Amino acid sequence: MQTSTKLTMAIALAAGFYAQGTLAQQQTVTVMAYSGLFQERYTKAVIEPFMKANPGIKVDYFPLPNSAQMLGNLRAQKAAPQADVVIMDVSVSKAATDEKLLIKIDDKVSKNVSDLYPNARIADVDGVAVTFDNLVMLYNSDVVKETPKSWMDLAKPDLKGKVAIPGMPDIQGLSLVLIMDKARGGTDYLKSVDQGIAALGEIAPNVQTWEPKPEVYPVIISGQAAAGAGWNARAQVNADASGGKLKVILPQEGSVFQINTINYVAGGPGKDAGAKFIDYALSPEAQKSFTESMFYAPTNAKAQISDAAIARTAVKSMDKVIPIDWIALAKVREPIMEQWRRKVIPLSR
Amino acid sequence: MPAAVAKPRRNGLALVIALIAPIALVNAFGFLAPVLNLARMSFYEVEPTGTMREAFSLATWGKVIADTFYAELIVNSITVSLGITLLTLICSYPIALYLHRSSGTWRTILLVLVISPLLTSAVVRTYGWIAILSENGLVNNLVSGLGLERLRLMFNKTGVVIGLTEILMPYMILALLAGFGRLDPRVEEAASTLGAPPFTIFRRIILPLTMPGIALGCLLCFVLAVSSFITPKLLGGGRVFLLATEIYDQAIVTLNWPLAASLSILVLVIFGAALVLYTRALRAIL
Repeated sequence: MQTSTKLTMAIALAAGFYAQGTLAQQQTVTVMAYSGLFQERYTKAVIEPFMKANPGIKVDYFPLPNSAQMLGNLRAQKAAPQADVVIMDVSVSKAATDEKLLIKIDDKVSKNVSDLYPNARIADVDGVAVTFDNLVMLYNSDVVKETPKSWMDLAKPDLKGKVAIPGMPDIQGLSLVLIMDKARGGTDYLKSVDQGIAALGEIAPNVQTWEPKPEVYPVIISGQAAAGAGWNARAQVNADASGGKLKVILPQEGSVFQINTINYVAGGPGKDAGAKFIDYALSPEAQKSFTESMFYAPTNAKAQISDAAIARTAVKSMDKVIPIDWIALAKVREPIMEQWRRKVIPLSR
Repeated sequence: MPAAVAKPRRNGLALVIALIAPIALVNAFGFLAPVLNLARMSFYEVEPTGTMREAFSLATWGKVIADTFYAELIVNSITVSLGITLLTLICSYPIALYLHRSSGTWRTILLVLVISPLLTSAVVRTYGWIAILSENGLVNNLVSGLGLERLRLMFNKTGVVIGLTEILMPYMILALLAGFGRLDPRVEEAASTLGAPPFTIFRRIILPLTMPGIALGCLLCFVLAVSSFITPKLLGGGRVFLLATEIYDQAIVTLNWPLAASLSILVLVIFGAALVLYTRALRAIL
């Protein structure tokens, strides 16, 4: 063996030991979650305090625009996962659970699990709810002078061509169908949503776009549309930024929850550090901090949230929140989509 | 004697193989393998929640064939794309012809102008169109200024066609220019000397000689139109159902990857058909 080769090997070995040495001191947790506003607020409200409390753990935030791409990453990296923790929509978490990509989060992973609201623990899903969001009605107060009360105010003639609703297959459109179906006497959305589809058919002629881009909030703030539907948390933050232009209400027919789950990736590189982060994310402290920052409703019943923040979530109006089993609903989503295409879209030409 | 002839030929073949091998290898890994993977995925089993299992199931393909919605989608995609291709050709042909005849600095300036839109992303250009076509946009302000009723120019098929036509024009112009090589001004002059009126010169001389460019441009634009999804998403308002937007929805929103995969394979089949038509057209022209 040549001296130079020996030297190279010695350096390589030394470098390896050195790297392992630093690894022992510094663990890294990779959190895969939404990009944009969520990343900005979650980093400040949860990740930075976590790193301060655990100096030995570094959190890498891997941002992706939607849950489907997170599942795509988990699938592609099944043999050698690169993420430890994933925050994604509950129905996507169900798919990841069934494909055995996750470790079940129970009270062995985090003691906070037992303090979660009952609807934060979802049957046959390995992740648990970390945020609740709900569908809200949005309007531009420069254009709409009278405060709307009902979702059906979107069908009023003065809003012709001024309504923006993220339509199906987006679950915001689906949620609106479910809400209106219940309001009009529908009893079981798994059997029929005819009433909800009929209601959307009445709103449809007023709809300017079913695909408000980049999101529904700036479209309404800019005045391109005057009213519509969106998610509460982002709507609240956008309302603050709009200087009073964007108004957010919970209409009388009520709303539904969208559930973001936190998930523990099977075989992730950070090992136990991932569980530590999940434990913190579900703690009353982190839940309080994130709700007060972005107005997602907390999933930990023990979180003591300021009155000002809680008033801007659906927590005080739980009687208006219609319970939805998203996992069961997935089975009938396709026939509902079919009705949407044939009975709602043609009325909005 | 025959051996002497065969030898350089064999050398030529070896050279051809050596030259093609690198790109063939890149294509095998970068294109063929993913496409085969996609084809395989279209036979996977999928549950309503998006859970996917490696299997051999004909369920997805059965659905694509049985559900008339997908047939509508294919017809819609092809007709809209053909319409866009034709419009792009009509808008680009005069520009390309003028560019072909111009020379010197003027030609360079014009070429830069034609290519410059390609330096901006299609997303940004589509937002530009939203500003122009929206209810309070440039066109509608002009229309209402003339005392006419405001038009609905976007969030429907009209918007998608207008947006994509403009976005594809640079490709069409460049393809046309590339195919205008046979157009010789002396032939036009000869026709003119022999008394042919301008329209006859165009119909009998210019059009036939520029056919290769037209065929190439149309192929390119058709393929790009069928596969584009950002512009239809932004300008279609959720009312325009095309193959590319459906693939996006199935992959990203509904999480039905096998369905998205089978629709992608269908798009590939459409491209194949377009290529066959192109080669036939080229053979007829040349």
